[in-house]
Amino acid sequence: MSAVDGKDAGTPEQHMTRKPAGARAPGGTHASESVSEHVGESFDDNAGENLGDTVNESVGESHGTNADQPALPRRAASSIQLKGLHKRFGNEVAALDGVDLSIQPGEFFTLLGPSGCGKTTLLRILAGLEALDEGQVVIGGRDVTEVPPHQRSVNTVFQSYALFPHLSVRDNLAFGLKMRGVAPREREARVAEMAEFIKLGSLIDRRVDQLSGGQRQRIALARALVCEPDVLLLDEPLSALDAGLRSQIQIELLRLQKRLGMTFVFVTHDQQEAMVMSDRIAVLDSGSLQQVGSPREIYERPANAFVARFMGHANLFDVTARDDSRSDAIRLTTPLGVLTAQAPGTGSLLLLRPETLDLRRRPASEFERHDVLENHLPGRVQERLYRGSHAEYRVEVAGVSVQVVVNNRGGQLPEVGDQVDVVVAAQDLITLRG
Amino acid sequence: MRRGGFHKGLRGFWWLTLGFLYLPLIVVMLFSFNASNSAASFTGVSLRWYRRLLGNDAILSALGNSLLLAVVSSLLALMIGTLIGYGMYRHRHRKLGWLIVLIYLPIVLPDIVFGISEMTFFVKINELTGLLSPGLATMTIAHVTFQVPFVALIVYSRFVGLDPTLFEAAKDLYATPRQRVQFFMLPTLKPALISGFLLSFTLSLDDFVISFFTAGPESATLPIYIWSAIRKGVTPEINAIATLMMAAVALAALTSLVLSRRRAAS
Repeated sequence: MSAVDGKDAGTPEQHMTRKPAGARAPGGTHASESVSEHVGESFDDNAGENLGDTVNESVGESHGTNADQPALPRRAASSIQLKGLHKRFGNEVAALDGVDLSIQPGEFFTLLGPSGCGKTTLLRILAGLEALDEGQVVIGGRDVTEVPPHQRSVNTVFQSYALFPHLSVRDNLAFGLKMRGVAPREREARVAEMAEFIKLGSLIDRRVDQLSGGQRQRIALARALVCEPDVLLLDEPLSALDAGLRSQIQIELLRLQKRLGMTFVFVTHDQQEAMVMSDRIAVLDSGSLQQVGSPREIYERPANAFVARFMGHANLFDVTARDDSRSDAIRLTTPLGVLTAQAPGTGSLLLLRPETLDLRRRPASEFERHDVLENHLPGRVQERLYRGSHAEYRVEVAGVSVQVVVNNRGGQLPEVGDQVDVVVAAQDLITLRG
Repeated sequence: MRRGGFHKGLRGFWWLTLGFLYLPLIVVMLFSFNASNSAASFTGVSLRWYRRLLGNDAILSALGNSLLLAVVSSLLALMIGTLIGYGMYRHRHRKLGWLIVLIYLPIVLPDIVFGISEMTFFVKINELTGLLSPGLATMTIAHVTFQVPFVALIVYSRFVGLDPTLFEAAKDLYATPRQRVQFFMLPTLKPALISGFLLSFTLSLDDFVISFFTAGPESATLPIYIWSAIRKGVTPEINAIATLMMAAVALAALTSLVLSRRRAAS
């Protein structure tokens, strides 16, 4: 990442000139027959650098579909360091209350949280649209805390898309380059290249008000990307789209980010979306960070009850006693009964994700038998929601209601009223701080 | 049946209203083309009154004054009103209460009150400093004051109709404050600016009361000329001037309407 360091001291004006037309030529200006070859090369580089440690399965798919698309030249991605951010609006509670965060170059980083948690404020601070009360923002090694938005090499895809209604699609795309003083000839070339890259095709000469939601979304993205910012910020860009289009664009956006290797900071309140797309997620609540980590860490090893509940369905029970006397396992006393765990951590709350539990029908003859099997909790099915691929159960165990999700593998699914054992795997048991 | 009768009645009322509104105007237009100088009978079509107008220096100078006053005052009102409209938009979340009332008051204030107060004001200043003797300058100031609220209102409502994130998008896309005005605000405002100008222009062109109180001996506008000429009786010449003024105002109003329609459609 030495290229990043090289421009640390750069002023915005130097930013413009540090991308000479020649240096960024290959992908855009090559004759079309050589493009696919070039893409193959650049994508392999990309995979080596950026995809190695990612946990996303869907990234792998993008190898195949990528070769037929034109490539944009790649440039070194930028890191972000946020130190001690404080922000308060008027006399209200703090929107940001001491946030420290470090985002790696080329990372797809998501700010996740309920509305009012401060995630949008944080994004606006990165864009320079909101001033800080306290703290420091460093992008690509350069302290931009006091730099106004029009001098930051950062672009935003707004939730409302914010396309200029008085301009055509083409002029919307060219706006940022024009403001930076890029010469008309180069401007046109880069807009055309971006239009091809993002497959805008015939939309380019349309008026903005003639476009559908999905098309606007795409153009808002292209308008930001064509400026080749150090960091791309996305403020809930998919929230206005219907579900089908949304999941399609999620995948496209993810592939695009991997292909460009650009640092993306994405804001959403949808934990599913966050898990599908992100390299890492920061969960925010009431203006402070609750946890930062990969989607699996956040979902499977939540730092506290808030994160556990926010990331998905969670059964949470108090641990009333703990027995560490056995060397291979720890016994936890909970309202459900005594459970054996392998490495549950030291928290006082037990987390059981519904899909880690299983249900076994208990034959009538065994009903009177005391629960001899370890981690088999006897209960009765109260409610079943059949969803085709799986079924969601509510099971009463020792007077407490437990949520269980059972995959439909074609076998028999217990019915309401059945006597069942809720089976807990010892390695899935973890405890959280309250 | 009774319902049908009611609807017929409504239709009749509609034509009656339309007649009251437009028949007098049509009569004036018709008689401006009258060959004879009698207002009692229409003897044939002729353009002689229009030709007479062209030879009348007093009318031509009044017309010149009217146009000069309308153009200059509208341009000034456009500049001031746009700034006020933008200021009102920028600070729309604050409680502007009295400020808004003060800006809109000239719209509802009777012209005669406005005209008299402006006159006393200018006369006093003139007595004290020797500046602002009655003439086109005082008239321009007076006209600008009643045009500004209209422009401010039009500009403000255009801004309010915009997605507020557009302002941020312009910043985010590297536009300096100056570039934001040049490449975002002015182009977006263009329809509002044109209709604001045209509205100011027509308001100025047909204003009589305020012009009358603030005018000087050399600065008679068309309405003032017509008023003084009419004391000697309505001549067909006056009909011709009136017809021309109607045409001018109608043209401006139509242009404004077409532009706002197009804006509403987009």
